Amino acid sequence: MLIDAPSVDAELGAALRARLTGFSGFLRANGFGVGGADALGALETSAQVGILDPQVLRWSLKALLCGRGEEWRRFDRLFDAYFLPPNKRLFAERQDEAAGARDAGGVARDGAGLNAAAVIGPGVAGDSDTGSARHGASCEESLASTDFGELNRAEQLYAIEALMRRFAKRLRQLYLRRETAAHNGRRLDLQATIRQSVSCGGTPLTLAWKDRRRVRPRLVLLIDVSRSMSAYSFFYMRLARALCSELADVHCFIFHTRITDVGEVLSDPDPWRSQERLHLLAIGWAGGTRIGECLRDFNRGQGSRLVHSRTGVIVVSDGYDTGEPALLAESLATLRRRSRRLVWLNPLLNQPGFALESQGMRAAMAHIDLLAPGADLASIERVLPRILETLR
Amino acid sequence: MPDIIDLQRRLEGVGYVAEAPLAAALLLMLDLGRPLLLEGDAGVGKTEVAKALAAVRSARLIRLQCYEGLDVHAAMYEWNYQRQLLAIKLLEHDERPTSVKEQDIFSERYLLKRPLLEAISCAESPVLLIDEVDRADEAFEAYLLELLSDFQMSIPELGTVRAVSKPMVVITSNGTRELSDALRRRCLYQYIDYPAFAKELAIVEIRAPQVAGQLARQIVDFVQSVRRMDLQKKPGIAETLDWTAALLRMEISVIDGGSTERILETLSALIKTRDDRTAFTRGVVARMAASC
Repeated sequence: MLIDAPSVDAELGAALRARLTGFSGFLRANGFGVGGADALGALETSAQVGILDPQVLRWSLKALLCGRGEEWRRFDRLFDAYFLPPNKRLFAERQDEAAGARDAGGVARDGAGLNAAAVIGPGVAGDSDTGSARHGASCEESLASTDFGELNRAEQLYAIEALMRRFAKRLRQLYLRRETAAHNGRRLDLQATIRQSVSCGGTPLTLAWKDRRRVRPRLVLLIDVSRSMSAYSFFYMRLARALCSELADVHCFIFHTRITDVGEVLSDPDPWRSQERLHLLAIGWAGGTRIGECLRDFNRGQGSRLVHSRTGVIVVSDGYDTGEPALLAESLATLRRRSRRLVWLNPLLNQPGFALESQGMRAAMAHIDLLAPGADLASIERVLPRILETLR
Repeated sequence: MPDIIDLQRRLEGVGYVAEAPLAAALLLMLDLGRPLLLEGDAGVGKTEVAKALAAVRSARLIRLQCYEGLDVHAAMYEWNYQRQLLAIKLLEHDERPTSVKEQDIFSERYLLKRPLLEAISCAESPVLLIDEVDRADEAFEAYLLELLSDFQMSIPELGTVRAVSKPMVVITSNGTRELSDALRRRCLYQYIDYPAFAKELAIVEIRAPQVAGQLARQIVDFVQSVRRMDLQKKPGIAETLDWTAALLRMEISVIDGGSTERILETLSALIKTRDDRTAFTRGVVARMAASC
């Protein structure tokens, strides 16, 4: 079934099939969005193009199994890593076209894909010491535990809840340009009117109306809880919790050296249980920051499921980062392409004498739709209309 | 491999220079009957792929340009309400029973075919180009998926229309919005990058044969060094060809330090934003021209 040559006995055929189907599993382990059906597709494709010419097989599988530009650039190295014997690095190049295709792979991806083991997940320790560019952030994970009692302080709680309620209400009034049928619409729906008129012999007795469709944006909050943010992180967690209780489609993550989903914990109706669970999740709270890696992990993991074109992503961070600025810029660019709008709240922005000079912030500037200050409730309140305007 | 080289040669015959991976993907697309999703920056020749494919297969090219707010009626079909309304009035004094009249009103005569319906009702399989699918919204994308999976469309008044012949579907995206994984999964994928020197030279030579060999090489060299600069909008192949035409119009036969003045006048064909334009001072252009 795989190849027509009758000389290949069944055992060899089975081994070949297993090898080819294993490739899509290997890609999935390396963060590609391939599913079970793709393994069958790979077999079918190999049967179609033959497996004797490695370049043709490479191009065909590349077209079949890649889904986006980032995967496209990593594919060649993964293909080599999977199909070559361990001591050989590259297939002998047959044509200059192959070299051209490989050029695109030269993006800084420092061999992340070459390991046969999965590279997604938090296994990022040890490669972050870029040394020179510290800018007040540290890359150690904090082992000390944190007092989450702050989260339940009554002070300001009413003000925060009231503000988030207002925000949620405004958010419900966003409209799309597309139209849908509506009882009290603004425009006549000619098509529906005519269709209804057929039953009255062509006289339009009942009129149908249409109006702009309401948009229900999803919000994703990414809150920096590293040490440099410690003065603000609790405040933002309280904001996030108030927002989670107002709107259904809010997803909240905290990040420092790793990124953790806290959405479910925050919407726990029992504040004390929520506090306990947060305690367990928050190992590394107030430690160092690796924004770029966290965002990349988010993009590869939860982000690909959560973020769609109606999503507003709100990043809360001061931009002090120990990771690579290039990685941060790349991850932000990916996130922005996926999402509708990318908003960055920087609590330090309104402080006198603060300039956007941290490397992380400068790398980020090109990829964000709105950069806004937000150190306390008053400044958040001033910023909210602008966020709403951007989400529209 | 011979098929791939053959296809490359035929594509070149209609003026499109395709690299082997792209030709392989096109062959696979014809074999498997799957749509081909092309991504890449603006101006790298994504749309041209569909046109070249149509020319090679001598098939009809049906194009659906997506835009924000594109809906089912503009993409698939629409009833011609005005004519239907007229027909209703005209049929008022007709003696036939109502059900027959109704059938008459909702017949194909009153159906306006939009690109997608057009594509699946062609007798010979056409090339269907769905351009800039990222500009349409996801609701439309979902509808498109349904069409692309079984190539049939249901029109409530008429019934289901099945594809007479499967169209060859080429989808392009500029990446202004991330496409859904479902759409990506269903398509073959090809990322088209800015061309390397040799490929771009071949394109200029095919598309503008009147340019002398030395000038063509200089033009491509200049554009390639423009692309290496830190610009907001890098020039694509279309811009290269525009600029070539502009240079010919200005009767420039060689790019060197002496032609800086006239090059500056033609840069509007290559540089498309104000910020980028300010980077090209007289000195910069003179240096780039001299090094070509």
